Amino acid sequence: MTTTATTPTEEQQPEQSTRNAALEWLKGQYALFILIVLLIIAALSSPAFLTGTNITNLLLQMSIIGVVVMAELIIVLTGGIDISVGSALGLAAVLCAGLFGGFSVWLALLVALAVGGIIGLVNGWLVSFRGLEPFIVTLGMLALARGLVYAYSEGIPITPEASATFAQIGQTTVLGIPVLTLIWIAMVLIVAFLLRRTVWGRRVYAIGSNKEAARSSGIPVRATLWSVYILGGLLVGLGGWMFVCRFGSATALAGNLMELEAIAAVVIGGAALSGGRGTVFGAVVGTIIFQVIANLLSLLNVSTFLQDAFRGALILVAVTLATVQFARRRSRSPQPATK
Amino acid sequence: MVTAAKQIEEEAHQLPIGELAFKAVGIKKHYPGVKALDGVDLEGYAGEVLAICGANGAGKSTFAKLLAGVETPTEGEIRVTGHPRPVHNAAEAEQAGVLMMHQEPLIIDDFTIGENVWLYKLRMGKDIRPWAQKVDSNSQETRDVLRQVGLGQLSTKQLARGLGPGQRQMLSLARAEVAPHKIMILDETTASTSEEHFNDILDLVRREKESGTCIIFVSHRLNEVFEMCDRIAVLRNGMLVDVVKTADSTPDEITTLMIGQALKALARPAPAQTSGKEPVISVRDLYGGAAKGVSFDVAPGEIVGLYGLVGSGRSSVARTITGQRRAAGGTITVRGEQLHLTSPGQALSKGIAYVTEDRRLEGFVKDFDNGENISLVVLPRMSKAGVVQAGVEKTRVRELIKEYQVKGGPDTYTRTLSGGNQQKVVVAKWLEADPDFVVLDEPTKGIDVGARANIYEIIHRLAARGKGVLVVSSEAEELLSLCHRILVMRNGEIAGEFDPEHADTDDLIRTALTHQD
Repeated sequence: MTTTATTPTEEQQPEQSTRNAALEWLKGQYALFILIVLLIIAALSSPAFLTGTNITNLLLQMSIIGVVVMAELIIVLTGGIDISVGSALGLAAVLCAGLFGGFSVWLALLVALAVGGIIGLVNGWLVSFRGLEPFIVTLGMLALARGLVYAYSEGIPITPEASATFAQIGQTTVLGIPVLTLIWIAMVLIVAFLLRRTVWGRRVYAIGSNKEAARSSGIPVRATLWSVYILGGLLVGLGGWMFVCRFGSATALAGNLMELEAIAAVVIGGAALSGGRGTVFGAVVGTIIFQVIANLLSLLNVSTFLQDAFRGALILVAVTLATVQFARRRSRSPQPATK
Repeated sequence: MVTAAKQIEEEAHQLPIGELAFKAVGIKKHYPGVKALDGVDLEGYAGEVLAICGANGAGKSTFAKLLAGVETPTEGEIRVTGHPRPVHNAAEAEQAGVLMMHQEPLIIDDFTIGENVWLYKLRMGKDIRPWAQKVDSNSQETRDVLRQVGLGQLSTKQLARGLGPGQRQMLSLARAEVAPHKIMILDETTASTSEEHFNDILDLVRREKESGTCIIFVSHRLNEVFEMCDRIAVLRNGMLVDVVKTADSTPDEITTLMIGQALKALARPAPAQTSGKEPVISVRDLYGGAAKGVSFDVAPGEIVGLYGLVGSGRSSVARTITGQRRAAGGTITVRGEQLHLTSPGQALSKGIAYVTEDRRLEGFVKDFDNGENISLVVLPRMSKAGVVQAGVEKTRVRELIKEYQVKGGPDTYTRTLSGGNQQKVVVAKWLEADPDFVVLDEPTKGIDVGARANIYEIIHRLAARGKGVLVVSSEAEELLSLCHRILVMRNGEIAGEFDPEHADTDDLIRTALTHQD
């Protein structure tokens, strides 16, 4: 009745429907267009942008936040939000650099994962089993973790014993691509696989879109939610370790305001903060957009403070753009003709 | 007490009886890929009740939305008498005198009942200036208005939050008494009200009719349409099939017009061979929610009906025995095992499925397409080590969509389907899990006759395959034709048991009603 016309009929040429599907997909990718335009502007406005050093630098910068964005994405998909990712990353960074004197990078990795995992465990438990609002839970965690960072580091950058090994990992490249970037790409692929190909991923989307229906359909909602926060925590912990690799030490300000960038990247990538909608691809594009702009601003010698203001403004513009786009898409999408 | 200003306002909106109230010419409404309306011409007159009937997806709600300015037509125009141009939005329609009663009543939970009566004043942008004279939401007038819609027993100072679905609908109808209008649209208004409110709605419609309002009643409940309306406009697939006078027609004729073919009478289910078989579920002394000590068995191959008024505890029983809520007491035994159900997932693992009453909230995931919704319950079975086998899922989903005759393909979003097709998706999703015992809560709520027959057939097939079925419904007739046995609930207890062969609607309703203190 209402939708017969929307479904492609068997007789349609398969190639044509694939092309249509590709076109449809492109129409939704406004973030991708922004990115392309942005890259062109960047290349034209600053000759330094396309140099090898700058690109490597940009990739390194992206990789850490990129991993955190993956954590934020899965949490946002469930309809939650995690504003503690920056602090959690900071805590993971200082502890993995400082505990046991930081003599081994691999032990440090375990420490970082444990710290992130525990934070995710606590956040997730409070959200899923105690039914608290993700916003307020992670707001508390934000203050708690950052406080611990200051208390542990006493404001002084912590340099691990094996600082050189850390830095070496941060500087190593494979075929010109930094190892940290490869880690980011691996995480992106893993999260994409989990979300798109597994039962768990399907459940994450179902919970974000309609928790009641998910519960009613026999999905273990609370356990799934918890696992999402734990996985998010692990990713953030990994981000903390990558931070130490990149800079050779952990500062008290490690990961400061990163939650801002992570949430913004997810939203620019088209995810709905109400949950249930959003893709890994979009989030990655969002990450790149954000970092390219930051990079461009430093290349153009914009003052640090103004850069912050710029980034804030960018979030507002991007989010507004997203709503415009969303509203238009909604009015175009077929609606139930009758109840 | 009616103020002079209001009287003038009202007079400006009144038309002499028999006058043209609106005229729709060549109305088309196209959504991408969907022609919801495809060239409809329709007129409405002051002082008449015009029914708009049609199966789900026929375009009747779309027409109501266009008339109320909620959406604008792709082609054609609707003119409301006295308004100089076609309306473009809801606010303008309201100015022109079109009052829309939405299917989901517009009630603000945190306002009092009295304030909700006067809500239209806010929506019309009047009286929100701080110095303006406020309407007294607790006045005698407010109480009179409430009494007229059968809510006289409620306090005007109570918050609207606590009202039941029927009461909410009636409260939104109270607005008709205070908002000036010359066209009133009732969009499936009776869908969420119970039979006790129907008379109040009838009274309201009669009063409105006398004062010269053109009333549009959008519904597929033909018995109500015939009781209330003067003319019936029948839509099918976005086209106006016919407009008939109620007096010259019969419900059967309208049904035929609606679905384009005569509906064959529903066959009785084959008698169940229940003697000597172990029941699929046996419930003893169950407490929980409104249920107070309920006991019954369901045998394999048996369709049991559960009848009762809203609040009688029938939904509590349905939800408790399927793990949707926890039992407060009593036992549920399945295959000799006593269950302590804590979640729907656990119930499912014991072979118990629950097809919800509230499709939109609990039935399907709104951002999922048909394929994802159908496979949601059984996804673990379609996967290896947690990885979904895309090929297996796709093939099976296609088969199921064909088997259950769902309109649209696996990629169609379930939320864009009509109620009947959504229900088929929900049913398919559960039955694919092959449960031994299925509870269907109001399985045909908001579903047109065609899809209704499909659902009945599915239920019969289930029973024929030896599954136990419990159908919860507030429609006595439905249960009488569908079930092997009917339990009637009253005040949280089972008040009677009937054999449909030897009972009628009256018996059920009387049992459900009597001795209510």
